[in-house]
Amino acid sequence: MKDEAIIRGGWPKGSWRRFTAESLWQGAIGAGKSAGYMLCGFAILLGIWAVVSGVSQSLPGPFTTLKTLARMLADPFYDNGPNDKGIGIQLVSSIGRVFAGFALGSLVAIPAGVLMGASSTCRRLFNPLVQLLRPVSPLAWFPIGLAVFKHAGEATIFVIFITSLWPTLINTAFGVGSLPDDHRNVARAFAFSRGRYLRRILVPFSLPHILTGLRLSLGIAWVVIVAGEMLSGGIGIGFFVWDSWNALSLERVMSAILLIGLIGLLLDRGFDFIARKVSYAS
Amino acid sequence: MSAQYLQARDVTISFDTPKGRFTAVKNINLTVKRGEIVSIIGHSGCGKSTILNAIGGLVRLSAGEIVLGGVTIDAPGPDRGIVFQHYSLLPWLTVYQNIFEAVDSVRADIGKSEKAALVESFLKKVNLWESRDKKPAQLSGGMKQRVAIARAFAIHPEVLLLDEPFGALDALTKASLHEELVNLLQMDNKTDTVLIVTHDIEEAIFLSDRIVVMTNGPEATIGEVIDVPIPRPRDKREIVHGPEYVEVHDRLLYLLMDAFAAHKKSAA
Repeated sequence: MKDEAIIRGGWPKGSWRRFTAESLWQGAIGAGKSAGYMLCGFAILLGIWAVVSGVSQSLPGPFTTLKTLARMLADPFYDNGPNDKGIGIQLVSSIGRVFAGFALGSLVAIPAGVLMGASSTCRRLFNPLVQLLRPVSPLAWFPIGLAVFKHAGEATIFVIFITSLWPTLINTAFGVGSLPDDHRNVARAFAFSRGRYLRRILVPFSLPHILTGLRLSLGIAWVVIVAGEMLSGGIGIGFFVWDSWNALSLERVMSAILLIGLIGLLLDRGFDFIARKVSYAS
Repeated sequence: MSAQYLQARDVTISFDTPKGRFTAVKNINLTVKRGEIVSIIGHSGCGKSTILNAIGGLVRLSAGEIVLGGVTIDAPGPDRGIVFQHYSLLPWLTVYQNIFEAVDSVRADIGKSEKAALVESFLKKVNLWESRDKKPAQLSGGMKQRVAIARAFAIHPEVLLLDEPFGALDALTKASLHEELVNLLQMDNKTDTVLIVTHDIEEAIFLSDRIVVMTNGPEATIGEVIDVPIPRPRDKREIVHGPEYVEVHDRLLYLLMDAFAAHKKSAA
C-alpha cells in the first residue's frame, strides 16, 4: 500500500493542458530545463566514476566502459554458440522471460485480487497466506521450479511468475476493496446488472490500482530476472553479467548495468503512459 | 390508497458497530400522500438520511415496514429515484453516459433511440446539453447536482428521494436549483411525490407541503410534523414576508434550537 501511494503521487491526475502557443513554449522551456538537470546529474556521476576508477585501478573507467558498450551495441545479435552471444540476444531472452512470467503472474493475481477485494471471506482466507509468502525472496522458489519443470529456463519464468504475483494481487485487492459506498449505491439505486456493475463501476474504479500493481510487479520482475539468470545460467542478461565477471571483463559488467537500467526505465515509462490513459479525475 | 401512498410503520433501524449495536432511528411512523412534497429536517446524526435510504431500499430495517403503493419495500426499485448527498456521479463517465447508464439499466421497456431521446430531453431541461461530453470533474458543484437530479428524473420514478441535495452549494446556486427542481416537478407527469432530507429551514419551507422535524439521535424519532400552508406557485422573495412563512419559520427555529436542540457535548 505504501508503494502504491508513492507511485500514485507521481501521476499527474486530471490535468488537461490546452495546447496554446504559450503553453507549448512553457513546455519547451520546462523540458529544456529538466534535460539540463539530467545532463548535469550524469556529468557528476561520470566525474565520480572517473575519480574512483582512477584511484582503485580494478574498476574500469567511464571511457573504457563506454567503448566496450559501443562495441557490444555495434553487433548486438551475433551468435557464436551457447556461451558467446550478442548483448541483444541476451536482452531479448531476458525480456521474453520477464513478460512470460509477468503475464502468467498477472493472469492469476488480477482475478485473485478482485476476489480478495470483493469478498471478505476470500480476504480472510488468503490474506494471511499472502502476507506469509510475500516477504520471501522469489529466488528461494528457484529450486522448486527446477524440481517441477526440470529446466532452468522454465524455473526462471516460474521465479518471475512468483515475483509478479504479490504487488498486483495486493494492489488489485486494495483497489477493489476501496470502492466507495457512493458508487456501490449508484449501482443499487439504478438496478445495475452484475455485468454493468463490473464494466461501468468496479473495473474503471480499480483499473488505476491494478495498473499500479502491474507496474510495480514488472519493475521488480526486471530486478529479479538478473539474479534469477545468474542462478539459471545459459542465456539472458543475468547470465551475461555473471559470465563477464568470470571472464574478468568488468567493462562488460558495467555496460550491462547501464543497459539493464535503461530498459528498466523504458518498461516503467511505458506503463506510466498506459496508466495515465486510464486514470480519471475524481 | 393515494392518501396512504407511502407509509413507514414503526420503523426502527439499528447498525452493528465495533462499539456495539447503534440504533439510529426508532419507532418512525410517517404517511405521505401521492403528490406530496415532504422535508425531513433535523440536526446532524438524527438519522434523517437513514430514513431516506430505508425508503430507497438501501438500508435494511431492524423492525417495522415501509409500504409504497401497497407494496412492502425491501430493495431499491425504479419507482424511486435517488439524488445522493455527494452527487455520486461516476467520475470516469461523461455527463451523458452517467445519465444514459441509469436509463439503460432501469428502462428495459424502451429501445435504444428512445433512451437516447430521454437522456437528451432531461439534459436539456437542466441546461446541460452543451456539457454532455464533459467529465464530472470539469463541472461545478451546482452542475454536478443538476446531472444527479436529471439522472433521478430520467428513470421516471414516482417518488424522488433527495438526500441533502443542495447542502454543499453556495446560496445563489442553491436558490436557482430550488426553482429548477420545482419547475421539473411541475413539467413531469410521472414524478410527483418528493422526500427531501435537509438541515436548511428556508429550503424546507420553500419546497415542502409538510416538514418532518426529527428529535436528536441516537434513537431519533419524529418530534413533530408541520404543515406549510403557503399556496403555490411560491415566489421566494414574496413568501418570506407572509404570516404563514414567519409562523412556520419561528416554529421550526424553536423546535431545532430549543425543543430538540443539539446536545451540548461536555469537553472530552
